Amino acid sequence: MALFARKDRLPIPPKNAEKKTTVCQYCNVGCGYDVYKWPVGKDGGKKPSQNALGIDFTKQRVALQGQAIVENMHTVITGKDGKQYNVLVIPSKNSPINRGNYSIRGGTNAQATYAPSKPTRNRLHYPLLRVGDQFQPVSWEEAIDIVARVVKGVKDNWGPDSIAMKVHDHGGSGSGFEDNWAVGKFFFIAVGTRMLSIHNRPAYNSEVWGQRERGTHELNYCYEDARLADTIVLWGANSFETASVFYTQHMLPNLQGATTEEKKKVYKRGEPVEAARMIVVDPRRTASVTVAEDVAPGRVLHLRPRLGTDYVLANAIARAIYEKGWHDKEFIEKRTDLKTFEDYKKKSLMLDVPYDRFMRDVEKLTGVSRKDIEKAAEWIAKPKKGGYRRRTLTIYEKGVIWGYKNYDTIAAISQIAALTGNYGKPGTGCGRQGGHQEGYVRPHSRSRAKLVGSIYAGGPPPNIDEYVKNDLKSKVYFVSGTDPYLSTPNAQAYKKRVHERTLALTEFLSEYAAAAGEPAGSEERARRIIEGLGKTQGLFLVVINMYQNETARDAHLILPAAGWGETPTTYINCNSRLLRIADKFADPPGDAKPDWWIWGRIATRMKELYEAEGNHEEAKYCSGMDWKSAAEVFADGASEFPNNKLSKADEAKLPAECYKGVTHDLLRKLGQKGIQTPVRIDPKTGKLVGTKRRYTYKFGTSDGKFKWYGTDPWSPDLNEFYPPQITKYFKNGNDRKFPFWFTNGRTQIFWQTGYHDRYLPEKVYTIPMPYIEMNTKDAKRLGIKSGDIVEVYNMEGNCVAVVYVNDSPPPGTVYGLMYRFHESLNHLTTDYTDPKTTIPWYKASRVGIRKLSGSLEHVRKFTSFLPINDFS
Amino acid sequence: MLQTTMSRRTFVGGSVVLGALLTSVRFSKAFVAPSLSYKRKRIANIRDLKNHKPVMFNYPDKDSPAMLVKLGRPAIGGVGPGKDIVAFSALCTHQGCPLNYSKVRFVCKCHYSMFDPAKNGQTYQGHASEWLPQIRLSVDSRGNIYAEAVEGLVWGRVINILPK
Ligand code: SF4
Ligand code: FES
Repeated sequence: MALFARKDRLPIPPKNAEKKTTVCQYCNVGCGYDVYKWPVGKDGGKKPSQNALGIDFTKQRVALQGQAIVENMHTVITGKDGKQYNVLVIPSKNSPINRGNYSIRGGTNAQATYAPSKPTRNRLHYPLLRVGDQFQPVSWEEAIDIVARVVKGVKDNWGPDSIAMKVHDHGGSGSGFEDNWAVGKFFFIAVGTRMLSIHNRPAYNSEVWGQRERGTHELNYCYEDARLADTIVLWGANSFETASVFYTQHMLPNLQGATTEEKKKVYKRGEPVEAARMIVVDPRRTASVTVAEDVAPGRVLHLRPRLGTDYVLANAIARAIYEKGWHDKEFIEKRTDLKTFEDYKKKSLMLDVPYDRFMRDVEKLTGVSRKDIEKAAEWIAKPKKGGYRRRTLTIYEKGVIWGYKNYDTIAAISQIAALTGNYGKPGTGCGRQGGHQEGYVRPHSRSRAKLVGSIYAGGPPPNIDEYVKNDLKSKVYFVSGTDPYLSTPNAQAYKKRVHERTLALTEFLSEYAAAAGEPAGSEERARRIIEGLGKTQGLFLVVINMYQNETARDAHLILPAAGWGETPTTYINCNSRLLRIADKFADPPGDAKPDWWIWGRIATRMKELYEAEGNHEEAKYCSGMDWKSAAEVFADGASEFPNNKLSKADEAKLPAECYKGVTHDLLRKLGQKGIQTPVRIDPKTGKLVGTKRRYTYKFGTSDGKFKWYGTDPWSPDLNEFYPPQITKYFKNGNDRKFPFWFTNGRTQIFWQTGYHDRYLPEKVYTIPMPYIEMNTKDAKRLGIKSGDIVEVYNMEGNCVAVVYVNDSPPPGTVYGLMYRFHESLNHLTTDYTDPKTTIPWYKASRVGIRKLSGSLEHVRKFTSFLPINDFS
Repeated sequence: MLQTTMSRRTFVGGSVVLGALLTSVRFSKAFVAPSLSYKRKRIANIRDLKNHKPVMFNYPDKDSPAMLVKLGRPAIGGVGPGKDIVAFSALCTHQGCPLNYSKVRFVCKCHYSMFDPAKNGQTYQGHASEWLPQIRLSVDSRGNIYAEAVEGLVWGRVINILPK
């Protein structure tokens, strides 16, 4: 018997089914999807002429070539008209990105839609107001009036910095340029606070200033480069699981040698053409390593550095390249800044230290052998036969972004690419893989608060987690499109404090009501809230989300947001900066509204309040947000981009996301083809043109040259190398109490906290609880088997997890799923952030492990514990 | 060892529960499997099976390859004295490639999805968003194993039983 209801037939879309273009709501890859919608009972026929897809459904389709239509791609929704509709969300064969391919996450896009008969009925329907220990539905008018009055009152009393926020800034997941623009306009202009932080993390920052401040935006390559590269480097990126279709659709064919014809077309005459090699830098033997080994044995190199030592390893590879003379002298001379190059040679390459001694220290610190470092140098940079330069594409992600010394690590990796001339040419590039897609447009030029960059650009930005935890000047806290109770680093300490502070306000309001009765209306309620914020250590928490998430448990007001497919939205993917529309095909549940509408309404209400008291100055800052449609917000956001009537060579001057001139209507016409940002207006033809690959002519600096950077000095002694947040675990017997290194990451199976996935039976059975992976040797020593339940704990917090025993983590290191539906292994991360960027180091701490007695029979019985990295 | 040969009676019993569900409008529209009339087909005899030596067959028709395997440990939906005989569609639910059986699981070499036959065809790794459709089996008193129905949509179809 199947464990849950399966289907053995699906309805067929009729010829007149409504068709919409969309893009997967989940990961960075940005697979294209086609949506078909038609009334229940009005199905099409099996013959090609009888259905919208033109497919002959009387026959078995051919593997790989045939359109994938699987059970999870179909659902039934209820429209605002009260009628039921079939919805089919299928991977688009017209998308250049996925070409009909899809992943375990995107395959269930249809199931994420709201339907009253499905578990997505758990979506928030109405604004909810906390009264004591319960939430009560209220109208938008009431809710908006309360927020606007509280924000205004708090700002007037204590200044704009008393308003803090932690808000999404991404594309996908139901939001894009429109929502980000609205958020930016609200906080930068209407409020004018500096106390900003971006979705999972403690501050408002780029995760890759180390690369950006070199003059290269992190999204500079295109998917074709993965098909054309001689060598693909995955650094701290488990792309098979976290950029699934990018890996299988574009990297694997190159490893298999299936893209040689494409290479011949763009390579130089006489240049050798071969199947690619792959270098994976990751402490774990991830599926990205083992799949590649299965496809291309002998052409995969796996480097497993000690946690947090990546910048030293990157510099060592660069040094080896330099020693052998494999660096691209011509590129360095013509395209890079020779003044800062001296600094790089001295501090990063450490040319003053003899090579042998340097390598001995590197081996000691990183645990990677000199032989492997030199092999990596060879695979990245040793010229091919005939002196042609190797084309190397380097893709890095959270393993290093959320590593130790964020700035220096990202700088070190991106500088290998400059040293070897690997920017701006087919088959090259260096940038992040991405987690989610992107849709960043915010009014930086008009911000009332000064926004800062890294320590080298006016920063670092303030740590807002610490601010709301410790500084009573913070009074109002917005959390939107994120669930920091699970995802912020050092989460257990954070939620304890936020809980205490929000509770203080709740108790004040309850006591007030006990003495004077509940307030008569929103004005009185807002007045009491402001009074409470002055008299207690209270914090007013507003959560805006699709679901009542973990953080919402302490909210005072919860506002229901529309999701993917419920408002038109636009975003770019990470591997090609391909901008498309994810169009609306369904209605949000109940009275839920798009985020841009919510922020716009709060600002507009604030404007009315300021006008009423004659403060026209402040009212002006709150104006221009009374948008009527998503298309209007998109157009408003375009005003932030500079003049984009520029030559091809000047694309480097444009922000990566520049879409000036593009409209929703144009994107509807372009469909899956989309347009690659930055978009230019060609000075000759006046037409809009996209940018396939960046930095072919210039870098994004004032003189167009790549700027080098010399990284921090380091010691091979671990006690000196690591920060106190780690070395405290080496001292006073703590090394015996917490004998394991702990690192964390994602699973291919579900997206983020699983805010949608938690309602799918497949996901609940496969990932029934948080898990850790433990090396076979450690498990044997501790008498732990797959399926056992353990407590993982340290000086930061604890979490209970089920164990998978496999050979993925090295002995002495356990790996944990970062967080799951309600639980979080983030409890174990320290509060370390890079002093240069305020980016946290999620990826390392120390833990102890205790086996719990007994086991969960349900988990043992229904969950698979087969090794997820063995494909042989 | 427990005698757990699935009798006709328990099989029908299972269908009665489903039948009750199917009477509700919502579920009949959802096409809960098995919603079609599958023909019963003899696959093998228990005597002929060895652990981890899969038997290939086609079900419900010649264009739908399937695999029967004796896992040597109890499996969800398993039949036979050890409750360890299971059968699945042998087309990867991701994009339809043929599956290999090795090391007690199914592997697809197209994009590396892996399915656990002991756990209802669960995709425990890879791209496939659907678990492998399990084929409902029965065993008669002589040890003949029959395919009875497919629980889940066979890749490459919108209906498991294609028109003649
Ligand atoms: S690979 Fe990413 S974008 Fe593509 S279908 Fe999967 S989750 Fe969606
Ligand atoms: S067809 Fe099997 S994993 Fe893609």
